[in-house]
Amino acid sequence: MILEALIAVAFASALVVMLSPNEWAGRLAFALSLLPFVGSLYLWSGFDGSGNALTGGDIAYQTQIEWLEVGGRSVSWFVGLDGISLPLVVLTTFLVPLAILSAWTPIDSRQSQFYGLMLFMEANLLGVFTALDFFLWFVFWEAVLVPMYFLIGVWGGPRRKYAAIKFFVYTNAASLLMFIGFMSLTFALGDSVSSFALPEITGAIADGGLGTWFGISPDRIAMVAFLAMFLGFAVKVPIVPFHTWLPDAHVEAPTPVSVLLAGVLLKMGTYALLRFNFTMLPDQASALAIPIAAIAVISVIYGAMLALAQKDLKRIVAYSSVSSMGYVILGLIVFTEYGVGGATFQMVAHGLISGLMFMAVGVVYNATHTRMVGDMAGMADRMPVTVGILVAGAFGYMGLPLMAGFAGEFFIFVGSFAAPALPYAPVFTALAMFGIVIVAGYLLSAMQSTLFGPFELATDYEIGPAPFHDVAPLAVLLAAIIVLGVAPDIFFEMIRDAALPVVEGVSVNG
Amino acid sequence: MIDVFSYVPAIVLLPFFSFLIALGAGKHLPKGGAFGGITATAGSFLLSLWVLATVAGGDAANRTLYTWASAGGIGPTDVELSFGILVDPLSALMLVIVTLVALLVHVFSLGYMNDEGETGLPRYYAGLGLFTASMLGFVVADNLLMAFMFFELVGLCSYLLIGFHFREPGPPSAAKKAFLVTRFGDYFFLIGVVAVIGTFGTAQFAGPESFPALADAALNGSGSVAWTPGGLDLMTWFTVVGLLVLGGVVGKSAQFPLHTWLPDAMEGPTPVSALIHAATMVAAGVYLVARMYGFYALTPTTLAVIAFIGGFTALFAATMGLVKDELKQVLAYSTISQYGYMMLALGAGGYVAAVFHLTTHAFFKALLFLGAGAVIIAMHHNEDMWDMGGLKSKMPVTYYTFLAGSLALAGIFPFAGFWSKDEILYEALVHAPGEPLLFGGYLMGLLAVPVTAFYTFRMVFLTFHGEPRSDTARDPEPVRWNVKGPLTVLGTLAVVTGFINMVPVQKVLGLEGIDLLHLWLDNHWGGIEGLSSHHYGDIGPYSSEYIVGGEVATVLVGAAVSLGLALTGLLVAWRLYNVPSPTEHTAKLGGIKDVLYNNYYLDELQVWLAYRTEDVAGGADTFDQGIIDGVVNGVSSVSLIGGDRVRQLQNGVVSQYAALLTLGLVALIVVLGVTGGWFL
Repeated sequence: MILEALIAVAFASALVVMLSPNEWAGRLAFALSLLPFVGSLYLWSGFDGSGNALTGGDIAYQTQIEWLEVGGRSVSWFVGLDGISLPLVVLTTFLVPLAILSAWTPIDSRQSQFYGLMLFMEANLLGVFTALDFFLWFVFWEAVLVPMYFLIGVWGGPRRKYAAIKFFVYTNAASLLMFIGFMSLTFALGDSVSSFALPEITGAIADGGLGTWFGISPDRIAMVAFLAMFLGFAVKVPIVPFHTWLPDAHVEAPTPVSVLLAGVLLKMGTYALLRFNFTMLPDQASALAIPIAAIAVISVIYGAMLALAQKDLKRIVAYSSVSSMGYVILGLIVFTEYGVGGATFQMVAHGLISGLMFMAVGVVYNATHTRMVGDMAGMADRMPVTVGILVAGAFGYMGLPLMAGFAGEFFIFVGSFAAPALPYAPVFTALAMFGIVIVAGYLLSAMQSTLFGPFELATDYEIGPAPFHDVAPLAVLLAAIIVLGVAPDIFFEMIRDAALPVVEGVSVNG
Repeated sequence: MIDVFSYVPAIVLLPFFSFLIALGAGKHLPKGGAFGGITATAGSFLLSLWVLATVAGGDAANRTLYTWASAGGIGPTDVELSFGILVDPLSALMLVIVTLVALLVHVFSLGYMNDEGETGLPRYYAGLGLFTASMLGFVVADNLLMAFMFFELVGLCSYLLIGFHFREPGPPSAAKKAFLVTRFGDYFFLIGVVAVIGTFGTAQFAGPESFPALADAALNGSGSVAWTPGGLDLMTWFTVVGLLVLGGVVGKSAQFPLHTWLPDAMEGPTPVSALIHAATMVAAGVYLVARMYGFYALTPTTLAVIAFIGGFTALFAATMGLVKDELKQVLAYSTISQYGYMMLALGAGGYVAAVFHLTTHAFFKALLFLGAGAVIIAMHHNEDMWDMGGLKSKMPVTYYTFLAGSLALAGIFPFAGFWSKDEILYEALVHAPGEPLLFGGYLMGLLAVPVTAFYTFRMVFLTFHGEPRSDTARDPEPVRWNVKGPLTVLGTLAVVTGFINMVPVQKVLGLEGIDLLHLWLDNHWGGIEGLSSHHYGDIGPYSSEYIVGGEVATVLVGAAVSLGLALTGLLVAWRLYNVPSPTEHTAKLGGIKDVLYNNYYLDELQVWLAYRTEDVAGGADTFDQGIIDGVVNGVSSVSLIGGDRVRQLQNGVVSQYAALLTLGLVALIVVLGVTGGWFL
């Protein structure tokens, strides 16, 4: 019942904050958002799951209650955690309070609604990472879009309407495609399943339960479903060429929203890819290994090249997310323990590091009111602590060892270089690895021109150090990144335990 | 019996704590945290001496201490990634060198930074501490992954320290270049690490299950490897892997063509230059090759490439040193050149010679940089040698120690550099017959000898001899004990370090036991099986041939030739520059001077490459905005014909949006129900 409590507390907090006066909504929201974080730490400490939730492993904190019936199949409230979902739950509950803190300075209107929506989003994100019934999961999945839409569309920058609509329509259309793909799969399973429970469906597919449906062969249905779901999730991740909504959304979104967008929302896409495409239909994935690895590599290199061309600090970080997500896709497609595990680890690591980068850029922006590379120089002189952490975060992004990003990327590279499931694995890996050079190129260049050199700012007013509540979350995030980089096994071990059945699911590794 | 090896982590951690203290509390500490750094490095130095003594007593350690990522599958095999320590004669020696130089640099910094009224001292001492700690972690690493990780941290620290004066435009740019160019090399290194782990399932340096041992066994048929990429035979694949790792070495040890960052790195404070060039970052590359020499020795092609790159870099960098006007620039190019010699030695099978030169160079180059620092203090931070002159009488301690370092650098008997450089050339010579790449490397190394002597003494004469050529040179600022002390220690070492390995004397006179370093690295007093110079000689491809008479004759002729060449260079410099008012003789070189002065325009080439990359990025951006996003927006405008109405739906009013969502869900369920046969 702890999981339910976690989600319920987040929903209730959202409601309470929504009804509270603007003046103290921020502080109230921060205090309330600590509850789910403490709860998730409790979940972590008592975690006793093993194996993968979808392939018959022991699910921790499981609840399954019949709810209603759709199309002859039962829908249930079915939640639980395994080694893949727990780290993401912890990541979510950890990032939300920090994101709320980072909102105190920039958000100066309709605060109660803003913080209420942030908490509402958290509740739904927790739902996405814990739900094990397709319908339940889909409700949460779609419901995440609502607060996101408003958070960008109301509190965003000058082109917020455009960005919000683009984000909403694009990802929603993709969801529809994914929904159709998944439904065709469940109906092709016919009588071999009686519910929308994901473990049951996964098991039925693995046991060859797919039948001919409207004269279409099982193999073809599986492949079509795979492609539909892959495209659907690819938008969310995002994978090139479905990424163009992301920079627009990031540039318009206020800092705390960017933190959650990059930190958690993108991981919905990779998480869903792992759960649906790679766990349920491993052989289809494996058959498409070369094209998927190719778009992973393209995402890495192309995303990094785009970041190199940007002049807006936030756009730089946004495009580099595209690049980082490419690594995740590479890790997933190679079907090795370190590859799939590393991909999952990278989700957490990137969540922390991109969160830190957006937050730090936001703190600088609070002071300068510009994010353009040419508009400022020598910021290190005026905001030494913020810039110090920003530099540390940037090195984390570049994959500096003993920080979380290196661990994630290195696990992926080690897992993919010799992977039997991917032809030409060494070539794909080596190409993707070149991303570590380009990322250093654009981040170092951006830092050199904005943070160092003689101080200069297009507008002329006094700039001092940022307030404590702006800097504190940066420091906390940096600490978490280093802890995870020095001791990755605190998550990586449970992640690999849950990843192993996925790896064994593909017949190449049989 | 106290187990000294359990204190090895403390050697690494002490400077790390000084980093934390300086960073956290440096503002409130006297001297900006300098004393913490001095105490920490002194502690590390003493512990290292203890370790050295213990190793001399026959002990060694190869221990895994911490599991970074526990065992899991990577496809062909399972791996466990861990940290540990490998203490053998090589790493024990290196520990002493690094901690000693770091300690002296810390002390010197009191004079160079504190006394000169620099700001940001806590940041400076934090950087020094982290730099030292990272290098020490690299030195004791027991596996290639750990080595890579600390190698990268060394890169970070160089970035932080080269860019120390971040308020000026130059240093941040130099820092970026240093990190980026070495990162380019590290890219290949990282592929190499991943390839080693994929191929062998381990990255350990030592022991029967280490990757050099497994590679050896696989090549001679008594073992096998976990994986090779399709179709490649073992020798080819090992050569590829060796060359990949070499990428990192070429970057960090500033070998051609990735040497361009190093002269720019002179933007950093001078003590940092001493640390980077003598004992840490640049040394890291060569040390890595020595550390995994059991792997490199297996692949003749890799060795030949290493030798050729080394020989070429030695000559190439020396020519650029001929025409520089700034004191530190000359030293920068000499560093590149000297590490070229070490690479030549490693490629030529001269493992001991390389470590020998690494050792002597660490002392005399640290000495030269600190001496240059003293001159820079005296000259009020003017580094142009044409403004100096006549400093000899005004700063005798600096002069005589600098002179000792210069004699060592030039390879003049009996200073330290003579012995080590001579042994390198000897090793290259006797192994060169039948190896064209190696022979080429040898010739270039030999040619670089007179060039080195010439630029070294051009520097000495211009700086210290003749008449003062500026007001500051007439009245230089005095330096204190904290400058003279380290100079004296290093000056002594530059004279005597050569005596630890008097191989020519041993060979000519037949005196056994005076080639201490040879015995030391051959596990004479103990060490780890498989990590000895004998073992490397056995598995290596080379056999010795004496083209002039026997061994003794070759030793004598080789030494005479290299000493003769060095003296020639020195005498030419004497003739041209040891005059009251020297002129710029290099100007007579005309166009050649411009080419040399501009470093063969390689920096321009790299800048050009960087700009072209940015052009490609710009093109990608245009493509992305125009085509990909254009299609997205195009699709949406087509589907949003009558967009006004739709926009009304999406105008931010919650209730309307909720209605839309509900409608959509209902529609979905209806579709679902129909297709699922719900209504039938």
